[in-house]
Amino acid sequence: MITVHNIRKKFVKQKTKKEKEEFWAVDGIHFEANEQEIVGILGPNGAGKTTLLRMIAGIMNPSEGTISFSGKDYQHQEIEIKQNLAYLSGNTKIYQSLSAYELLEMCCDFYQVEKSVVKERILEISHTLEMDSFLHNRIANLSTGQTQRVNIARCLIHDPDYYIFDESTSGLDIISSQIILDFIKKERDRGKCILYSTHYMEEAENICDRVIMMNHGKVIATGTPKEIKNQTKTTNLRDAFFALIGGTHHEE
Amino acid sequence: MKNNLKYVLKKELREVFRDKKSLMMMLIIPILIPFIILGMSALFEMQFKTDFTDYNKVGFNYALSEVESELAREMNLETFVYQEEELEEKLSNGSLQLYVVKTDNHYTLKYHINQKNSSYTLNLVENFYEQYKRILQEQELALDQQDTALLDIITVSEEQIGENNFVSTYIVGYAFLFILMAITISSTYPATDTTAGEKERGTLETLLTFPIRSQDIILGKLFSVTLSSIVTGVVSLILAIVSFLYVNQKFTIYQSVPIAISGSQILIAFLVIVIFSFFISGLCIAIASQSKTFKEAQSALTPLTFVAFFPGMIAFMIQVDNNVLYSLIPFLNFSMILNDLSVGIIDISCVLAMIVSSVFFIGIVISYIIRQYKTEKVLFSL
Repeated sequence: MITVHNIRKKFVKQKTKKEKEEFWAVDGIHFEANEQEIVGILGPNGAGKTTLLRMIAGIMNPSEGTISFSGKDYQHQEIEIKQNLAYLSGNTKIYQSLSAYELLEMCCDFYQVEKSVVKERILEISHTLEMDSFLHNRIANLSTGQTQRVNIARCLIHDPDYYIFDESTSGLDIISSQIILDFIKKERDRGKCILYSTHYMEEAENICDRVIMMNHGKVIATGTPKEIKNQTKTTNLRDAFFALIGGTHHEE
Repeated sequence: MKNNLKYVLKKELREVFRDKKSLMMMLIIPILIPFIILGMSALFEMQFKTDFTDYNKVGFNYALSEVESELAREMNLETFVYQEEELEEKLSNGSLQLYVVKTDNHYTLKYHINQKNSSYTLNLVENFYEQYKRILQEQELALDQQDTALLDIITVSEEQIGENNFVSTYIVGYAFLFILMAITISSTYPATDTTAGEKERGTLETLLTFPIRSQDIILGKLFSVTLSSIVTGVVSLILAIVSFLYVNQKFTIYQSVPIAISGSQILIAFLVIVIFSFFISGLCIAIASQSKTFKEAQSALTPLTFVAFFPGMIAFMIQVDNNVLYSLIPFLNFSMILNDLSVGIIDISCVLAMIVSSVFFIGIVISYIIRQYKTEKVLFSL
């Protein structure tokens, strides 16, 4: 279980040469995500989704609050947490000079996957994600969709208990997006805990068991998609979001 | 939890050795060393092998006496007699290297200080007039029936102890300094690529999501950059030694004093290369880590090339003697020890001081970089 407790993140923005402005990119977020659950983090650009997920993934430190994974926190067990976590954003870059196989082999090294099963595991994942035809090609020569599939394989290679996906389908074609969504559902069914951020409300409605809607760094609604639609008397999450922020015209 | 250092190192080395630019920086700069050694040797050869006919043309504003003419013939001086204005013109256009203006019993030697070989001609003509004066003095004493031994109340002779090794130590000294510069230049590229470059390409974020301790990431990067710098240093050293062997055979200036590098000199030079590579790689990584982009990091590292080279260069030019204190000063210590090696000196206390000082400073640099990588600033430059 991932527990996010009253987490806040302050940034300093340079307004003019001399003047700086402090603002809370994430402001008092509190939630839990359980095993066998996909929790959607929804909101427009600038809502604080990426900052929140980066803090949960351990690549950014919260200004206030705590994050724990089944009782383990970053202060004391950073390596153990990361050993059991996969983070994938739409913007995640991987090493262009390596082949897909070499990259996965490198990930196995980092995650301390048993040497004797490395090859077998890579070939199995490659087969599942239909990567066999380009497994030994340099990543620099792959298409965007193929690269993102390698990225998914990277996340899957150590069979983690926690996944964090941040806008991981943005910019992808329908087929590549569907491969990712199918993969996420399958992992949920295998008992994994998944945080999934997107600004595509329809996609979230389709995949998430529970959603957390954010705006300006704060949670504005939380619950199952059905609960939020009922609560806002709307028929989809897009309309629900606009109802929650009080109209279609809002500040980014 | 096993540490991931060897896997980070494997990944970093794979990136360095697969990157054409890194390879080029690593191997092309050392190729310049043979050219420098050959070029400098050729220049010295040209300077020392100046032909006599290039500096024996002397003008006079008076008709030479029989004694002077005879002496000039003996000394192979090519003499020309013109009016002073003409002599001045011929000196200016280079057809004369010097001319003499006689006023009563006084002779003025006129020459252009900036003209090639003028100092040789000056020595020659001074010697000519010393001998001429001696002949005249002997003639006068003979007329007065006095003993010419009077002219030799004291005698002075010179004896050179050892051979003049200026050229060989100069060339070796410069070659060693250039090896340090080659290491500095070649370490900046992989250091920039592995820090600011990785940040710019977006792979640093991915790397930081892996279960790897900050110190393993840093040490992996440091060792890979250091290794590539050591490759540059060792290739440079080998090429320098091969070049020394070649110029010893090829150029006559090394016939009396050939360039000689002993096994212990090579060993100490290798030690300096290894320690300097560690030091400069750490420094490059520390500076480049603070930059957001590859370009910004390269600009930030440019002054380091000069800082690394100039203390040693100045010490070499003004021939400062090394001591333990100098051996504690970063940058200066490496050059000073290599300078000592170029004249065949191995001072163990200075070498030990250099090692102690370098370990101390490398430790500071590594702990500084690890601190940087423990904060999100290294990734997001907030």
